Amino acid sequence: MDQRPPLVSSYAQATLWIPRMPACDLIRSQSLNFQYLSTFTTMQYDLVCRPASTAVRFALEAGESITCEVGAMIAMSSGITVETTSKSRGGGGGIMKGIKRMFTGENFFLNHFTSQQSQQTLLIGPTLLGDCIHHPLRSGSMVVQGSSWLASSSSIDIDATWRGFTSAVFSGESMFWVKCSGTGDLFLSSYGAIYPIQVDGEYTVDTGHIVAFEDTLQFKIGKAGKSLIGSFLGGEGLVCKFQGQGKLYCQSHNPPSLGKLLGPKLKPR
Amino acid sequence: MPWNVIKVDKMLDPNQQFRGGVFHHSIPDGRIGADIRISPSEIIAEPSAEALSVMDPSEIARMPRWVIPLSECQVDLGGASGRMVFCRNKERDLTIFCEERGFAAVLGDRSGGMLSEQLHLVKKRQAGENHRFRFWLTVGAVATLLLGVIGYYSVLAAARLAIAAVPISMDEKIGSMAMQTIEKEQKLAADHPATKFVTEIVDRLKPHAAIPEMNFKVIVIQSSEVNAFALPGGQMVVYTGLLKKAETGEQVAGVLAHEMSHATLRHGLQRVSQSLGIVAAIQFLIGDAGGLLALGSQAAQTSILTSYSRQSETEADLEGARMLHEAGLDPESISAFFDKLKKEDGDIPGVLVWVSSHPLHEQRIESIAKFKSTLAKKEYGPLDLDLDTVRKSLQ
Repeated sequence: MDQRPPLVSSYAQATLWIPRMPACDLIRSQSLNFQYLSTFTTMQYDLVCRPASTAVRFALEAGESITCEVGAMIAMSSGITVETTSKSRGGGGGIMKGIKRMFTGENFFLNHFTSQQSQQTLLIGPTLLGDCIHHPLRSGSMVVQGSSWLASSSSIDIDATWRGFTSAVFSGESMFWVKCSGTGDLFLSSYGAIYPIQVDGEYTVDTGHIVAFEDTLQFKIGKAGKSLIGSFLGGEGLVCKFQGQGKLYCQSHNPPSLGKLLGPKLKPR
Repeated sequence: MPWNVIKVDKMLDPNQQFRGGVFHHSIPDGRIGADIRISPSEIIAEPSAEALSVMDPSEIARMPRWVIPLSECQVDLGGASGRMVFCRNKERDLTIFCEERGFAAVLGDRSGGMLSEQLHLVKKRQAGENHRFRFWLTVGAVATLLLGVIGYYSVLAAARLAIAAVPISMDEKIGSMAMQTIEKEQKLAADHPATKFVTEIVDRLKPHAAIPEMNFKVIVIQSSEVNAFALPGGQMVVYTGLLKKAETGEQVAGVLAHEMSHATLRHGLQRVSQSLGIVAAIQFLIGDAGGLLALGSQAAQTSILTSYSRQSETEADLEGARMLHEAGLDPESISAFFDKLKKEDGDIPGVLVWVSSHPLHEQRIESIAKFKSTLAKKEYGPLDLDLDTVRKSLQ
């Protein structure tokens, strides 16, 4: 199907700016033998410096395009152009979608990186230390927690979805989540490690640890233990309960806890 | 009704396709996007063109079509939106799901109402669960609020009790600390007629204070503001603006009696301990220590020490009235002063500093009058001090 040379050949080019990251040394030897992680994907990518400070490296051919979170770009070849709009590449969306996106904690704008030449490399990374993963979106949609969306194929539509007032007030999760639908590749970032769970039935995750979940999963707020008071004394408080069948991504750390830890120690300005 | 007719027509379209998906163990990744049709007896799902386009050709050949007979179909509702319909076979190893509008209606129609009955039951159950959860959340929220309110008032009460155990020397220390922040350049000399005037009034009232041994001191500050305040421990500040504004010496005595009462009733310390107590309670609940330190440093500032609650103001009014009465002065001279202010300069904000931080003056006048009526009848003498000389010296 794919007549392009494997990414390894363009690797020499990419390594030119990778060595500045010492933590990558070990990973580099491994990524030499990496192969396409999915036979489906038409986009060539590589997750480098896993798992603590992962960045995503794309090898783009002429005309290939990728949509990224604003500020995600770390480095890129000279043959890539950047276009900033509030629209998805397919023309969907516009100002309203941009505004809705702002409610999710994402940016009003999106950056579209388009390669003008063959064999261009683009390196992107998330704000917080942590891992990134690739999720091939084949059908339906993926509900992503605000700040976890990193990049996606231009064919994927990025919209905001209302998750309800109660869950926002009581779980500390955002009122709006990012809804990614279409067919293509999705790149998600996490704070700390990221791990996928294939839910079949019921599964409980503490608030703040959700990265994304498939549209076939139902998400409800519930108490961790039998008694509400016990749940709070146990430090778990309210948790998110997933019901149904589908894939769920969780992160090992959660940003609000870090904020609570650091906030009081900061000097008032 | 046309609306209904259109709906029925659409429902009966035998070839209507819905976009959805399938869960089955034979599918790589377990899930695939599918086009779903509902025949009179079966739900049929086939891989969608989109799903096939990204699939390996060898796998496409192996993709079957999935069928669930309507007679053994079990339906459920769920998904991220809560509106996705899941159809499972008897063995529950095959799931066909669809979120599209109209899917449930067609499903119900084709199954002769059997499945819509099932869906209705699922909806009812879920609504019940949501209802229960919301009920308990509301109960929880109300209980938390109630606890908060009870906690707030018990902290206030506890702070009052705690003050009684703190020696007066503590008030004096806090008072002199706060005094240092007050600008001294504008202070009038001790032998200035105005300073002598207010000192004399304070000396007159001192024996009748609730804590006569308190070290009362008063200074006069050159300022057009009509204001006076007391710091914990008995140090007081009177602005020349107030002396100019007052009509009689009794009115100044009324203000001073009120301020002295703030000191003897230890309102400043009460205020600090209450705010500290509330912050400490919040800290206990939330665990934020930064705010406590910030408040501690703030407490030394005059603003917090001299701004009292309405309850404290009323207490000071009545205690001041008592002092005036015992010193042989008319208790109603407290109300007379701010009554005059309100009448004359009601619309000049700068003049109202002393009044604005105080309760509604009609209420005050009333409560002072009421209190006066409870006191033993007494002939009130005039304050034989000359306010006019003082006012002339301030020109």
